This record gives sequence, C-alpha cells and structure tokens, in this order.
Amino acid sequence: MSMIQMCRIAKIYANGVPALYDIDLQIPAGEFAYITGSSGAGKSTLLRLLYCADRPTRGQILMGKRNITRLSARKIAFLRRQIGFVFQDFKLLQNRTVIENVALPLQVQGVSIKETRARAFELLRYVGLEYKVQRKPLELSGGEQQRVAIARAMIVRPKLLLADEPTGNLDYNLAQEIMEMFSAINKMGTTVLVATHDTEIMRLLPRRTIALENGHIISDTRPETDTDQLQETA
Amino acid sequence: MKRLRYFIQRTILNMIQSPLLSSATIGTIGVALMLLAFFTLIVLNVQNLTRQWSREIQITVYLEQVPSTAKLQQWQEQIKQHPSVEHVTYTSQAEAFELFRKRLGRNDDLLDGLLPEILPASFELVLTPESRSELGAEKLVQELKKNAAFSGFRYGQDWLKRYDAFIFLLKLTGVLAGGFLIFATLFIISNTIKLTIYARRDELEIMTLIGATPMFIKIPFLAEGALQGIIGALLALGGCHALYYFFLKRGLSALLTTTAAGNITFLPFSIQASVILLGFVLGICGSALPLRKFVRV
Repeated sequence: MSMIQMCRIAKIYANGVPALYDIDLQIPAGEFAYITGSSGAGKSTLLRLLYCADRPTRGQILMGKRNITRLSARKIAFLRRQIGFVFQDFKLLQNRTVIENVALPLQVQGVSIKETRARAFELLRYVGLEYKVQRKPLELSGGEQQRVAIARAMIVRPKLLLADEPTGNLDYNLAQEIMEMFSAINKMGTTVLVATHDTEIMRLLPRRTIALENGHIISDTRPETDTDQLQETA
Repeated sequence: MKRLRYFIQRTILNMIQSPLLSSATIGTIGVALMLLAFFTLIVLNVQNLTRQWSREIQITVYLEQVPSTAKLQQWQEQIKQHPSVEHVTYTSQAEAFELFRKRLGRNDDLLDGLLPEILPASFELVLTPESRSELGAEKLVQELKKNAAFSGFRYGQDWLKRYDAFIFLLKLTGVLAGGFLIFATLFIISNTIKLTIYARRDELEIMTLIGATPMFIKIPFLAEGALQGIIGALLALGGCHALYYFFLKRGLSALLTTTAAGNITFLPFSIQASVILLGFVLGICGSALPLRKFVRV
C-alpha cells in the first residue's frame, strides 16, 4: 500500500517562481527514501506540500487513501498529528524544557499529563537524553537538540516522518548518530522521507534516492541491496 | 475541563516564561491607560467645577410695584412652570433692604433714615442646567418681558458670554485631546502586543507544525492579552489614584486653599470599571489582530 502518491504535481509561487513541475511519485508505506538535489531544486517545497504548509498549483496528493490537496486548516492540523517533523534548525521552543518540548504534540492532542510525561520520558531515554529532561534547548549541543526534535517527532507514533536537512547543522559523527536513529525508526514501520543534499549521508545509509533538479525528478534509484547496517566510512 | 486547565496553565506559564515581554506589554498598557484615565479624571472634575459655577447663573426680575399676595403667588407659579426654571424665590422690599444692610457691613449706617421701599421687590430665578447659558437666559427674559409688571432684568450678560466661551473651549479641548489620547493609546497598545507576538512567531509556527488547531494556538495568547490588559488597567488605576492623591488632592489643596480643591473627586466606579474593560478589550483585540497574520496553518 502507498503511503504517499503524488500525481502530476506542480507548484508555482505567487511571484511566478516555479518550484515543482509534473511530479509523479509513489512512496510505499514503511519505505525509507531520500529526496535530494542542489539548493533550490525543490526538496523543501516537496516536503512542504506533504505537510500542507503549501498547496500545489496543480495535481493531487494522496496520503494513504486520503486526498490532502485541499484540506481545511482544522483538518490539516489533524493530519499533522500523524506526521513527525525534523528540521535542520530543530524548531524547539527555547523557553521550555526538553521534556516539555517532547511532550508538546501530545499536549496538543489532549492526552493526560501522566501519560504524556511517561511517553516523553520513555522517548528521551530512547534518544539518550533522560538525564537532561529539565534542561532548556540552548543548554544542549546541536546533536542533542536534534535528538530532542526526533523524540518530539516520535512521541505521536507517526506513520510518516519528514526530515528536512536534519544533519545540516551537525558534524559527521553526530549526523551518523541521527541517521542510525532514522533507520531504527524506519524499522519500527514508520515511513521516513529525508530531504538532503549531503551525499556522505546517503552513502552512509544507502536507500531509495529521488533526485530533483529545477523542480523535476531527474532520477529515482534504489541501492542494489538495502542494508540496515550503516556502511563503513572510507 | 482538561483543555481549560491547559489553557489557564499555559497562559500563566507563558507570562512567567517570557517575563520581559510580559512586563513590557503590561507596562505599556498601564502607562497608556493611566494617561487616559488621568485625563478623564481632570475632565470630569473640571465639568464638576463648571457645574458648580453655573449655579451662579441667576436671573433677577424686578417688580414695578408690589403686587397683591394672590397676584404674587400666580406669577410665582407661572414662572415655576417654565421649563427653563429650576427654582424661584421671591424677595420682598423689606428682605432686599435687610440683605443690602448686611452687605454694607460696618457702613450700614448709610441706610439710616431710609425706608425699605426704596428698593424694588424681585424674583430670583435659578435656571435648569440645560438653560445655563447666555442664549438660555435671554430666551427666558424675552418670555418674561411679556409681563409689563416686570420692570427690569439682571443676569450678568458679560459674565455669561465669558462663561459660554470657556465652556466651548473646554469641550473642544476635551474632544480633541481625548480623541488624540484614545487614538494614541490604541496605537501604542496594539503595536506593543503585535511586537510581543512577533517575537514569539517561532512558537506559533512550531505549534502549527505539531498539529495544534488554530484555536488551540490562539486561545492562550488571547487569554494572555486579556490578562495583561486587565493587569495593565489595574496598574493604570493605581497610578492614576496616586497622581490624584498626591498631585490633585494634596498638592492642589495646599496651593489653592480654596473649597474648589476640596471638591476634587476620584473617578466614579463606572469609569474605573470601564478602564478595566478597556484594558481587557484592548488586550484581546491587540492579540487577535497579529495572531490572524501569524497563525497560518
């Protein structure tokens, strides 16, 4: 079953700048895929269409069996509760503690405080930050902040995880650590879509790679053998 | 219930977690509303003062000859029926003579050998508040002139002209300065709240990304705006009361030592409640407008 189906998608911004053209894409449930390309190729726009931050100018997007092309603000909010997000700039609330940041998506859904805290703590233990629950994000390193963002994304047990340049602000070792986490999350059944232009990362964990250039898909390749193990560094 | 608890908790925590922004907003609302409240306080007290002065506007109607008691009562009743007249009293020749003697004080011997009949009897008319102007007094005098027995009228025409000009100037100043002050208050408060929300636009973006509905995001911000508005308004009333007490009540009393200073009163309860309501409304509206722009799913 497909997790995402994009049919003849085009996105032209209000100022006339074209970002995506005739995108036909199918991502099966449980897949791990990279969206790659140089800056301005349309990677982030494609992700923005998937979490309904933008509407396509043309075409249809199905998520599961649901057409998400024209949803109301309220329905978009409910759709996002099934999606986890990880961004290059972490997007953490600086005035709240680590555990408050992780708990936020469940608070929004009205889950009880007891359950929210238990699940937040469990995920912080999973990402190795159980000793820093009361810290503020700025007191953490970049890698730690990204792990908080991953824990926040995972707390809703998402069907889809979208990551936009998740390793962009991290050094190679931390990037490797984050990719290991994504791999583990994918193994739990979550579909993972990572937008990146970092070829090192893609070489580290080879997966289906959709390459964009000037808003067009120029290649869609799969590694000869998928492996759950990260490749040896050169 | 769970949601309500979250909203209350979030509102209070937001203010605690952003103390600088909160104090800046509360401070701005407080100062802006204090200026407005103090201006209202001055306008109301000046209005009170002019109302007291206006009691001095009286028309004295002199009688050619002393009428019979029946005639006197009839005229008095006729004058009393007039819509511009609040109160009418009759002063007989003897009473006028006695009054004059009192006014002369130590020189009252000047009246020795004179009879009370040298002074005319008169009616003293106090006008209703609406008629206390030059025009109102003249209108009434024209009506009264129809009675030939009323031989003379005195109502301080020059004083009335100056009083009318003063009241007009006062109203004009009140409307212009009040209008400007209200506009400035709205402008300053709405822009301060807009800036505080702008400073937290990342939070709004993150909330939308994790699936919060627009209302869920907006409610704590609106409640925060309302709470800051109310706190600001209470501070404004406190500040205004301090200004009233130290500047108007004590300072002015010591300076003027007149009874007028003693009549200075603080804002009535209805105005105080209006200031708090204004703070509440400004807080909510000031937050709602920028939220419309920044909370976009």
